[in-house]
Amino acid sequence: MNNAFPEILQCSDMTVLERQKAPLQRQQEQLQQQEKQQQSYFSELRGVFSNQTSHVQGLQGGLLSGDSLLCDMVMTPQAKPDPGLETARSELGNIDIAGMGFGQCGYVNGPSFDMNYAIYRTSSCPPAVVAAAVATEGVEAKGKESVESEKLGSAIGRESFKKRKADKLHCSKVVAEDDSKRIKACAEERESKITGPNTNKSSSSNNNNKKQTSTETSKENSKFSKVQKPDYIHVRARRGQATDRHSLAERVRREKISERMKYLQDLVPGCNKITGKAGMLDEITSYVQSLQQQVELLSMKLAAVNPKLDFNIDNLFAKQVRQNPAAVLHFSVTNYAGIVCSRQLFASCTTTFPTVGMLSEMANPPYLQFNPVQQVVSCREVEMGMGMGMEINSPDMALQRTINAPLSIPDASFLDSSCLAQFQSSAAWDVELQNLYNVGFDQEGSTTPFPSQPFTGTKS
Amino acid sequence: MRPPSSLRQEFLKKWMMGLQRYSTSKKNMSILERKKAIKLSADVAIASARNGTTCWSRALIANGYSKDGGDDKHLVEQILGPESERLIMKKVLTGGASVCNKRMRSKKILKRSCGIQRTRKFAPQVALASSIAKRLVRKRTQILRSLIPGGEFMNDVTLIEETLDYIISLRAQVDVMRSLASASELASEP
Repeated sequence: MNNAFPEILQCSDMTVLERQKAPLQRQQEQLQQQEKQQQSYFSELRGVFSNQTSHVQGLQGGLLSGDSLLCDMVMTPQAKPDPGLETARSELGNIDIAGMGFGQCGYVNGPSFDMNYAIYRTSSCPPAVVAAAVATEGVEAKGKESVESEKLGSAIGRESFKKRKADKLHCSKVVAEDDSKRIKACAEERESKITGPNTNKSSSSNNNNKKQTSTETSKENSKFSKVQKPDYIHVRARRGQATDRHSLAERVRREKISERMKYLQDLVPGCNKITGKAGMLDEITSYVQSLQQQVELLSMKLAAVNPKLDFNIDNLFAKQVRQNPAAVLHFSVTNYAGIVCSRQLFASCTTTFPTVGMLSEMANPPYLQFNPVQQVVSCREVEMGMGMGMEINSPDMALQRTINAPLSIPDASFLDSSCLAQFQSSAAWDVELQNLYNVGFDQEGSTTPFPSQPFTGTKS
Repeated sequence: MRPPSSLRQEFLKKWMMGLQRYSTSKKNMSILERKKAIKLSADVAIASARNGTTCWSRALIANGYSKDGGDDKHLVEQILGPESERLIMKKVLTGGASVCNKRMRSKKILKRSCGIQRTRKFAPQVALASSIAKRLVRKRTQILRSLIPGGEFMNDVTLIEETLDYIISLRAQVDVMRSLASASELASEP
């Protein structure tokens, strides 16, 4: 399950950012305009900033502070630099502030990124400033201060640390190149990893980045959906929603969470009526707690029942298996999916654990009762469609699993002695089992990695 | 996707393997010891069914591994099987906790510093509905984190995925244990 989701996580982070970086070339004029604006701002600030040596770190420090100030100013046109400055200074701590470096800040190149990376890893920069740094990193080496820098500074989302790191990694890759073309190539590389679920997330249009100075919502831009390259992931900003990078990423994250919560809703009984994260979390917590308590109780019960810890499954079911051979056949046929599964267990068991072979053979009976008729259908479908042995690798899988999972609840009610009593004694069981294996196997086709010859039960 | 029945079969098989260790040893165990042994083998067995792909399974295996002495290590080895045990333990020891710890620690430092800044700025606390809701959600997520093994190291999205998987595995575990318990009861009746 973790195989795909973290990937998706990172990739989607990538792509949301990449999406925004993609149309940079369109914004060149606008950006240059802004740059001029910014530089004029900074000529004011220069005097205010303390005079520090402008080594690379200082450069970036100035970058950080400069951007935050810029953003403050962008937000409130008449804003005094002083409060912004104070906050910036306090936020940055020991980072040298060199406002005059700002003009060149846009030209920050690859090597400095590691430094910056280190900076925001070691210093405790608040998200705004860090985000501003990220934004500026994301800008091309040509000094196109992207719109993102302002947007980022202005929108302070609860962006995860991981995401920012991902930004950084991506950005360092990006800025090392000179064209936006290469950015796109880079973006495409990353996107090759993207899987389906991302496409149906809310998408931000590329051209949202055109919004320059305002942090306002992109009512008009949400209509833009021009795709530059076909394999980009679109996150469309809905009407009336903010389109800056932070909120977009935040929105993607929120939607991921709500999607997963929906799966959980299917899984946890009684969660259908509850809406809202808090209530559902409560239900989920209590369900997990109850399951864990059941495990404790059952293990206590098992310990009490059997003083030697010798669970001889063989003998356990031998007592109940006396009656009704016909019922076995019927039951088994309807459950051949289960048999197919247990055949695998059987085969693998006998090859590797010869002494346990006996054990696992008799372990089959309980599993037939785990497959009531209604579950057979779903099992079969799933087996045919998906093959066995796959983990939750995508939300589709999880969905399938959750569809199947509720069926397991009725299973528990099936586990009473009447079921157990249907099983035959071992000898006759073998013969029928073999017949059924052949039948089931032929019908199923080889969705499972069984040896194709009929099973000759090796009973030790 | 793996059908639920195979998960249970795998769990039962591994669980029985683990329990065999205890049944072969000659010493008499008290009921509590037996219960602990049963539970431990069950946990390691259900975790090994995931083969180290999920965080909670790694955490469970790590629990089984690091407890008192060599006994449990052998248990884990036996249940997992020697090759996969090596793989999984590698994942557990190198991948898991250390990296996650660092990440969480740095996250916490960042949050704390940001939090300080924020509270200073917005000192008058207006109890908005949204902030109350957020606080509730956060509290409950915290509780959920404490329940899922290895949950402290996950972010929100991962937490929910892990919960999904964990619930499914717990259910399988409960089903198998319950059937075994009922069968044992019936068998022990005279």
